[in-house]
Parts: sequence; C-alpha cells; structure tokens
Amino acid sequence: MSNERDIKNKIKSNSSLFTNFVKNAVSASPKVQNNFLDVSTQVALTVQKILEDADLILNLEYKGKDFWSENKCKTSCFVDGGVDKTSIISSAPLSIRTGSYIVKPDAADKNREFFEESMVFLGDLYDPKNELYDFAEDDFDEDQMLNKKKDGARIIFEAVTIVKHILLNRKFDYCFLHGPIEATVMPFTVMGFPTFTKFAVENMLPFYSKNKLNAEARHFINVYLEALNSIKKSKFPIYGIVETSNSAPYIKNLLFNYKSKGTISEKDFKNTLATIKKYKITDSHLLEIILQSGQAIKPLEVKKQIQGFGVTSGSAWEDKMDSFPSVHIGYIKINNHSAPIRIETLNPPKNLIKDYEYILATAKLLPNYGFPVGLNVVDKFAKIPNWMSKASRKYYATHLLKQAIRSKDQNTISLAVKILSKKVRSWRNRPLGGLAR
Amino acid sequence: MNTKKWKSIGTVLGETNISEFYFSLKNYKAKKGDIITTESKVPSSEGKIEEVTVWGKISSIESSNVFFPTEAAQELTNENINIRDTILPTTRDELICKVIILGFTLKNNLKLMPLNYPVRPAAPVSYPSSEDVEALLISDLNSEHPLFIGSLLARDAVKIKIDADNLVSRHVSIFGMSGSGKTVMVRRIMDELLKKKYPMLVLDIHGDYLGFIQKQKKLYPKNEVKLFYPNLSVSSDDKEIIYTLIDKLGNSLTDPQKDFLSSLLEKVKYEGGSLLKYIELLVRKAREYASDPSKSFKNIRPASMYVVVRSLGQVAKKLKNMEQTNFRHRQKMSKLKFEELPDAATEPEKIINKGQLSILYLKGYENLPASAIVSILLENLFKHRQEVEEEIPPFLTIIEEAHNFIPSRSEDKDNLPSVDTIRKVITEGRKFGTGVMIISQRPSRLDETIASQCNSQIVFRMVNQKDQRATTRDSETLSVDDSKQLPNLANGQGIISGQVVNFSLPVQIKFDAELINDDIGNENFISAVENWDDKESVKQRKKFAKDFSNITSIDRRRAN
Repeated sequence: MSNERDIKNKIKSNSSLFTNFVKNAVSASPKVQNNFLDVSTQVALTVQKILEDADLILNLEYKGKDFWSENKCKTSCFVDGGVDKTSIISSAPLSIRTGSYIVKPDAADKNREFFEESMVFLGDLYDPKNELYDFAEDDFDEDQMLNKKKDGARIIFEAVTIVKHILLNRKFDYCFLHGPIEATVMPFTVMGFPTFTKFAVENMLPFYSKNKLNAEARHFINVYLEALNSIKKSKFPIYGIVETSNSAPYIKNLLFNYKSKGTISEKDFKNTLATIKKYKITDSHLLEIILQSGQAIKPLEVKKQIQGFGVTSGSAWEDKMDSFPSVHIGYIKINNHSAPIRIETLNPPKNLIKDYEYILATAKLLPNYGFPVGLNVVDKFAKIPNWMSKASRKYYATHLLKQAIRSKDQNTISLAVKILSKKVRSWRNRPLGGLAR
Repeated sequence: MNTKKWKSIGTVLGETNISEFYFSLKNYKAKKGDIITTESKVPSSEGKIEEVTVWGKISSIESSNVFFPTEAAQELTNENINIRDTILPTTRDELICKVIILGFTLKNNLKLMPLNYPVRPAAPVSYPSSEDVEALLISDLNSEHPLFIGSLLARDAVKIKIDADNLVSRHVSIFGMSGSGKTVMVRRIMDELLKKKYPMLVLDIHGDYLGFIQKQKKLYPKNEVKLFYPNLSVSSDDKEIIYTLIDKLGNSLTDPQKDFLSSLLEKVKYEGGSLLKYIELLVRKAREYASDPSKSFKNIRPASMYVVVRSLGQVAKKLKNMEQTNFRHRQKMSKLKFEELPDAATEPEKIINKGQLSILYLKGYENLPASAIVSILLENLFKHRQEVEEEIPPFLTIIEEAHNFIPSRSEDKDNLPSVDTIRKVITEGRKFGTGVMIISQRPSRLDETIASQCNSQIVFRMVNQKDQRATTRDSETLSVDDSKQLPNLANGQGIISGQVVNFSLPVQIKFDAELINDDIGNENFISAVENWDDKESVKQRKKFAKDFSNITSIDRRRAN
C-alpha cells in the first residue's frame, strides 16, 4: 500500500505524466479524469513489478571527481545536426550541417578538443539543379513534402557523419548521437518521396557500389539502411540519446515479451496497450515515476520499423522494413526532477554498466537539464544561428527579385514583390481591398 | 609605414559605423588599450574611392565560451571536479573587442583624418608595428617640442610624447587617488621642461619636489632650482586679502566690529612689507583708538574695538605659529638651502627666470594663509606678464593639492583669495603665457570653472564615483569607456586626453626614481619605529620623570 501511495504522490508532485494529463484534461471526459490517477498508478505499479521481476533495474554509481579523474583518458565524440527551417514562397532554401565535438580531456590543449563541421549542404530544394535530391514534382501538399525532405536530409546527414568517423578509423571510446540511433523511416516511404542525387550518395557513402546507383538504391530507405549497417559494424560503442520519449516502445515490448512467454494473457496485453494509448502514457512518464535518480533500465531489443504499419502498408518498401536492424533501448534517470533519457544502440552494449555510468556522468555535468553535456555542446555548435537564416532569406529574396526584374515582365515583377512583401500563404487568394480598381 | 609587416589579429564583425566597430580577436594577440588597424575604403571629396588604413583603440574586450553551460560550473564546484578532467570544452573562448575609431590615414602619410564612411565588416584587423604607432601618435600634433612621458600602457615599445606648447599654455589637470602616480607624472613633465629651460613655479605643500634641489647639480647643471619659504609680505593694495585673513583667522566679528576693522585698515598706512609687522602695527593702533575712542570712531564702543584688538592678536599668533611650523620642517632638511620668497611685485625675476625652477615650500601653513600667499604671488607675477614691457618670461605654475587653493563652491570655503586669482590666470593665461597645472586627488572638490579651463587631462586610478564624474564632466575628450578604466589602473598608469595628445591614450608613466626627495623618505613608518631611538631631551625627561612623580605622590599623601 505504501508503494501505491508513493507512486500516487510522485504522479501528483509534478511528474511529466501529470502535467501532460492536465494539459489534455480539457479534452478528456470526466470519467477519464476521475480514473486517471488510479489507472496510471496501477500501470506504474504493474510495470515496476515486471521490471523488478525481470531484474531490469540497474543502480549506477556516480562519484563526480573520482569518475572524471579515472575517465579523463577516454576519447568521446558527440554528433548533432542543425537545419535552418526558413521557408519563403517559391523557393525552399535548406541549410543543413552536422557537427562533431571530439574531446579527449587529458590531451594537451592543442589536441584536447576538436569541433568539426562534418557535413554541410546549402541549396534550394526547388532548384532542379540542387545537389541533394533529384527533382520531382510534388504530389503532396508542398509544405508537408518539403519538411519530409528536410527531415530526411538531417537524418541521413547525422548517420553519415558517424559512418564517416568509422571510415576514417577514428579511435573513439564512445560516440553519441543527439537523437535516436535509428529513426523511424515510415514517413519517407510515401509515394513521390524523391531520391537522392548520384552526387549526394557518392559523397555521403563513398563505399556504396557504383553499380547500385540506380534510382531505387538512391532512395532514402536504401541509403539510410546502408548507413545503419555500417554503424552497426563499428568497433566503438555508438549511442543515440533522446531527451524525452513521446512513445512507449520499451513498455510495449516489455509487455509483449511477457505475453510471448505466457506470463500475461493476450487479453491483458491488449487491454493494457489500449489503456496506455488512451491516457497517452509514454516510457518517459512511467519511468520518471518508477526510477530513482542514478537508476537505469537494462536495454530491450526493439524493432523500430514495423511491417504492416499504417502508411508503409502496401507500400513498395514494406518488405524492406525487416532488413533494418533492431535497436537496444534503455533508460537512465539522471536526477529527480527530469524525465529519464532514452539510450539507443544498434548492438547490445558490451560494457553496459560502464557505458551507462559514462553517460550518467556526462549528463550530471548539466545537473538541472540532466542531458549529456557533450551533446548540448555539439547542439550549440551545429545549430544554424538566426543570423545565418536571416542572411539566407535575404539572399534568396534578392535573387528572386533580380530574376523577376531581369524578365522585364510586369506581372512577374509584381508577383515577386507580392511574394516578398507577404508572409507565407497570407497573400494567396485574398480579395483586393475595396478601393482597388 | 610598412603594412605588410603588420600581423593579422582578427576580423571585423557585423555592423559597423564611423565611430566604433567590433572585431573577433585571436587569443592573446592584443590587449585593452592597444592601437590596431583595419583596411577600408572611403569616398574622397573628388568622388574617387580611396584605400585607407583605419586606426582604432581597443576600448574593451569581452570573452565568452558559449559552449560552457552555467549549470556545469555548478556541478564542477559542488563536486570539486577539475574541468580539465571532464569533456567540457575549455578552448573555445570567443574574444570580442570594441574599438573606438581614431581616424584614417592614407598610404604613406600618417596624418590622421576623421573617418566619414563605415569600416568594412569582415575586413581583417592588424596589429601595427610599434614604430608606426609611435609615428602616428605624434603625427597630428605638429609638435615642435614633444615631451617624453612614458609608454603606451598595452605596449611598452611605443613611446608616448605629448605636446609641450599646448601643455604650458592651455593648462592641464592631473587627477588621481593618493599614490596613483600624479606626482611621478608631474616630476616627469618638470624634468622635460627643465631640459627645455622653461620656467616653472611649484606650490609644494608636502615637499614632493624637493628632489629637484637635491639632484640639481647632477641632473640639471644648466638649470637653476630655487627653494623658497613663504614671506607674508603685503602692500596697501592687498587690503582685501588682509581683511579676509583677519576675518577668517581671528574670532568671528559682529558687524560693528567688522566696520571698525575696515576703518582701521583704511586709516593705518603701511608702505608694504611683512604681514606680521603690519598686523602688529594694526594691534597697536587699534589699542590706541580703543583707549580714546572719541578721537575717530564715535559710533563704535570701545568694547567692540578691544574685540578686534584681541582678534588681531590671535591672527598674529597663528601666523607666527605657522611660520614656526614651516621653519621646523625646513630645519629637518638642513642640507637644503631655503630662501625667503622675494617680493614678486618688485623682484619677479628672482622667482621666474629662464631655466629656473622655483619651489615654494608651503608645509605648515593653513589653507587661508597659504591661499593668501599664493594669491598675492600669482597676482603680481601675472601683472608682470600683462605689462607691455614683460619683465619675466612665460612660465608654468604647478599647483599641488589644488583643492586647497581652488575649492569648489560646494565646499563652502568662500573668499579664499587664490580662487579669483587662479581663475583669472587660467582664463587669460593663454594670451600671456601663464599656464597652470592643477593637481588634485579630489577633482569633485575643485572649482568647476577652473577645472573646465584645463584643455588637457591626465587621470590616474580613481575609485570615488563622485570624482570620476567630476573628471568626465570637466573633460571634453575623456570618453565614458576611458572613465570606466579609472578604478582598475595600477600605480603610474594614467589616461592622457585633450590637446597634448592626438587622442586619449592609456599610458604607463616613466618613473624617475632619482627625483624622489631623500629626506622625506618613503612613508615606511613601521621601519621608522623599529629603528626609533629617543632624542637626548626626551631621555633626560624620562630620567627625572619618576623622581618628580614621587614628589607629587608624597605631597598628596601628606595633604590627606
């Protein structure tokens, strides 16, 4: 009973689960609201019981000064990508780069730390001659497809940056990626999603067989798969670290494993999954309540790309989903006031406790935020600053106007002026003012 | 000017204008106060585009490490972790310098001109050679008589010279806390001016400049250095000053008593000479009138007259005391030859002469008499410079502890006779070659009109905000950025601005160790006590003190 009271108190005392519930309470029915506390407490208690039963909870050690003094000889690499999401009508400027922060604390000043701009792309995705994607007429709403293209570019750039480090035979003790080690590829399986250009693929994956540079091989799915397979072969451990989890892959897989073993019934499994969905319960929510500061959950093997799921169903890429490597997902709770961070890796960790303690120590250096400081550093480095976005917007605006003026066509010029003087979408289909002739 | 030899040290940032710009600096390549350059283009008056070198002074440097989160500092402190052991970045400091633009120069011509077109963003910033900076600093002054005073604060190799002509004619103020380097600066200027045989008169309260007398033969064999002690000589023209002296030094007088004093001064004729003798004469005459008031002062009661007699007596006594105090101080420096100050009205050439340095040693005198002495002296010397037949050459008056002679109105020290005199000398000094150098540790306590007449300022370390404000208020050329530096300056470091330099400069003043007065010592009082031995007279007193004390105690016992 006392455990139940503890969990309830934890939920009420500002857990992200409770905050999230309060946010959504407007749309929830009174019954749902009444049941919320009891249901979520029961789910937490059940999951905690399973975690304890399966011996999945780890107690990590953190002794700040001693830890760093012992581990200062280790070389770590932190990778993150930054995208400028500027959009102006008639063009799709994309500035994207990935940065690496490589640090060996005990090295002499000159060799202690390196900030590397690992991959860079600057261009206009609407430009048929752009060097990233093959040009294709968009079948979908332009903004949706454009955002997909930008996301796809960022994901591939981040993966390829890690591949580049592997190919260069870098002697890292650890490599960390800001974000999932394997992204869900489902959004890129849609019809009409363009292929990467030959130039792009050759530069991203120089080892990719030239014979394979046909359109299919240059599709995001194949290129990303190739990159992931390279990452999987790495000699040094590579972890993707996610700040908060918006889904519940760990809990769902945990329950699935228990169902497969026959420990829980098919019916209980399905009902619990439905409850989790109904209350928007995520891994982060539950583990925030269950875990103490400095505790971790041993990784579970999870398949990220699921066949027969929504959009991929019936898509030409459905068969490919199985080829993607499964991901080992674990969690570490850094402090008592933030949600645990998700740790992903393509291979089961060889030195789980040591690796997790290293991640914990790097996150303890940001005691409030509770996230590995190296990733925070590289995030700032890779981020496309506002002044750069502004500059690129200005450049495209000038370019557009110059082109229009060069055409000497009055309509084109007035359209260009209209585009530049209005915000996205605000000008289209608007009636002219009452005094307009 | 060989710009190819200049090292590149940074890049101009984003937005620029014609008065300042920012640049990103390579680690350790320049310091605050350094002179730097950047290449730019400006439209000429003929419409051409000219390539120019823009010169600037680094007024501030900010360092930041955007990759080092504040939170991390908290953890490092709490856990006592050495940052070098962690993965935190330690080498990504970004240095941003603010530069005040001094002007631009054309190729092969170091004449500095005002910039009228903004500096190019992204242009490289260079560190010019010391020779070129030195040449630039004096290029615009067209100085025929440069005075060497020290080196650029940020760069020892760049020697700083100031313009002597502007210094001696347009007045200069030197401000700073006690021990900040004011006197070192004045000695430096005096050394240079002596070499140019420029006459100087120093009003020295503490004896800071007596070193010049001691080292005269060795360092200034071609100069004459004279040391005077005050002679309170007055003439009948100085009635106002005498009245003020008596009024302020004696008992406060009622209106009828003041009337009597005024009438007394009118009636008693004095041809001129010692002030003390004059007051003694006044005492005698006043007593005569008091004993027989029916003679001349029918409306004033004898009682009032006797009050004036007593007051005059007090003044005489005080003046005697001050004279004696000054005498005792002089005796301590028996090796130095003190002369009585000649009468400036009749023998000005004995005070001001080509190649002569005259030091008036005022130690022991209270403000008012010291002010009266200075007032009478300067008034007379100024008159000689005003006359068509100039009897004395142009000269520079150096006023130490100037707040004693020219206090601000807010100091409530009205009627100090030196205020009006110095105000007149400083206002008209440019015409008649009577330059003034005022030195003070409390600029906020100085007369505002006089302070603002100084066209050049040399300011040393200053912590008091009131004094900082007064300094910038009185200066047209000292910037806010300059004034921010004042509390952080070290001994002997100052900022020179105004007409003696092209632009305000932080300077390390050359220290002339040989000009320190050996007799006054170095204020090392602890050592003085450690080596203390009683004088013979004290020893004798102590020897008999116990015997006398015994007598007293026995005497008291009997009485009881």
